[in-house]
Amino acid sequence: MDDKFCINPVWPCAMTGACSILAGFSGLCVIIHGSSGCYYYPRSLLKVPLFSTYLLESEIVFGTVNRLKEVVTEVSKTNKPIAILNTCIPALTGEDLAGAFPDGAAIFVDAPGFAGNVEEGVKIAYESLAIETNEMRDGVNIDGVSLLDLFWRGNLHEAERLLSTMGIPVVVRFAKDTYENLRKGAALHTISVNPSYTSGIGSMLGSFLFPDLKETIENLAITFPDADMDPVLDEWERADELMFYYSDKYLRKYEPPIVAVCSQESYAIFAQKIMERYFGSDVPVVLARNRNAKTIPCVTNLQEITGKIAACKPDLILGSTFEANAYPNAAFLGITPPDRSRVSISARPITGIEGGISFIEGVLNSLMDMTGRRERRP
Amino acid sequence: MAGCTLTGALSVACFIPGAVTVVHAPQGCAHQTFSMLHAMMNDAETKITPEIMVSGLSDKDVIFGGEGCLRQALDRAAEKKPDLIIVVTSCVPETIGDDCRAVCQEHAYAKQILYIPTSGFLGGSAKDGENSALIGLAGLAEPAEPIPGTVAIIGEKNLESEVEENYAEVTRLLHLLDLTVTVRFCRNADVATLKKLGTASCFILRDDRSSDAGRELGKKFNRRVIREFPRGLSGAITFLRETGTACGISREKIDAAVSSENAWQEKKLAGFSKLRGKSVFLGAEPLEGIFAVAREAIERIGMTESPDGVEVKPPFYLPVGVSGTMKMLYLWRRRILHG
Repeated sequence: MDDKFCINPVWPCAMTGACSILAGFSGLCVIIHGSSGCYYYPRSLLKVPLFSTYLLESEIVFGTVNRLKEVVTEVSKTNKPIAILNTCIPALTGEDLAGAFPDGAAIFVDAPGFAGNVEEGVKIAYESLAIETNEMRDGVNIDGVSLLDLFWRGNLHEAERLLSTMGIPVVVRFAKDTYENLRKGAALHTISVNPSYTSGIGSMLGSFLFPDLKETIENLAITFPDADMDPVLDEWERADELMFYYSDKYLRKYEPPIVAVCSQESYAIFAQKIMERYFGSDVPVVLARNRNAKTIPCVTNLQEITGKIAACKPDLILGSTFEANAYPNAAFLGITPPDRSRVSISARPITGIEGGISFIEGVLNSLMDMTGRRERRP
Repeated sequence: MAGCTLTGALSVACFIPGAVTVVHAPQGCAHQTFSMLHAMMNDAETKITPEIMVSGLSDKDVIFGGEGCLRQALDRAAEKKPDLIIVVTSCVPETIGDDCRAVCQEHAYAKQILYIPTSGFLGGSAKDGENSALIGLAGLAEPAEPIPGTVAIIGEKNLESEVEENYAEVTRLLHLLDLTVTVRFCRNADVATLKKLGTASCFILRDDRSSDAGRELGKKFNRRVIREFPRGLSGAITFLRETGTACGISREKIDAAVSSENAWQEKKLAGFSKLRGKSVFLGAEPLEGIFAVAREAIERIGMTESPDGVEVKPPFYLPVGVSGTMKMLYLWRRRILHG
């Protein structure tokens, strides 16, 4: 029981995670079967149109099926496919909601908040979508795109650019594509821009995060022998040199920063590798948000996270503004939501070659800003 | 749409220094509010993070009962020896039948535990949660003799990004009457301060969102209740007259304050003289009462309203006093003069 107690939980629930996937497929109408409170949060976070049954207490007492049917009937006038996303209370009352739509009028996604965190919801959503592969579709799928990710737009653009340079077509983007394209079937092979959001569709050829990219390109070269990998490999080498050039310049003046990293496992490991490779940094704190993390501990209790960060006295925090606000003595770069430290509207990547460069650029600017602030102090 | 009772109650309970809030719910429910508080506090350039303890109901607990989780969360909260532990609940413990009140009453720290049965959406909306929290917390204060020249503000919207700017506008007007705010109920006021609620000579509500709490508190402490912050320009004058009268301020002093305020308004409106004679179109009214404020400003500046006029956006919130009206007019001026 004790491990569930938490002070200031930093990661959203399963329902929000499932919603982030379903809402990524345009043309699919997502109905949140729950209260206005359960609707309000994903709606404000994801900034996409969503529907809701806005359940009231009386409907819980007398059953919610009629209300759900009413909303489904209304939404079905759009002639678009519908996904029903279930929330905590209707999941507890034991109604047969899935059975209420036997004709396949809607996809039922049972991802109540108490089922876990974002990643559990993502898994449930993908399973509910029952996605099939289509061997006739040549190319790769891009996995790991989530509307919850600070970098989803930039990552998607960067992955498409790199694959286009290689001459490999993109088939389905998980999860930012049209629902119509999804139903044509996914390619047999997949690459990921953020392996912590996994669809499980297609054979995984690897990640496009900068430290993993060369190995992934090797796998792509085996699968797509006609693809031209050299331009991307050349670009990777040039980026690597550039990143060393600027980190060397920093290190001529300053000591290697001590770093604390808190994010989903994939980005956390990426950040650790980059800081070690280019700065020779000590990274004593590396914590995951996702409970299915395999190589680092998952902590979502902000008080515990803050305690670990304070104990190592980092120069730089790579995480969210939850951590940055709790330990303001360090420089900060946002790599996981929320990042309230800056107005961020453009499509910044963290994956691919531009993502690697952009990350180093952000780290250097954050460190130098903090150094400047310290020097200006009386 | 703005969340369930949990969000409403937490938006009040989390702004009491020295108190600890325990949420009996799955972690995700508490995260929603914590995330919103974080966003609003960053908007307001306040980096203080409220502490929300969550019992963390899981899929197993919804089957076997969650009272043990609440008990354990209360133990952890009591270890901090807070002035007060505020317990709020989501819809999940309500549905599975946890007896939260009994758990709170039986706890060793019970005397300093305030249980607010919010019950997520089963208890209503965020507004209901706010009122429940305000009424519950008012139970901490005993009736007392009013101290002349003091007022309490009730139900400020802690998640409103302009909350401090609105407060500044209200205190500007109160200073014209030589009135002082002694209790902000509940915004950054500790438990000892909240207990002094009954000493204020008059209560000022933020708006009718907290009218339920206003009625209860006015009755309990036998105080006049001003029903909302001033709406727009003439609202500031009405506010001065009503508040002054409620606080027993002399007629002469109120008239002097009104005169001073009228001069201030003329000075501020002079900055919009380039808009005189311009025609605007307001479109649809986003919230009842906005057009009245907007039309008054149009008239005072010497503009006109016409379907062929430049379309300007009325704000989606009621502008508070002169300050709020100016913010609206700055946006209009940009639109009219610069396209």
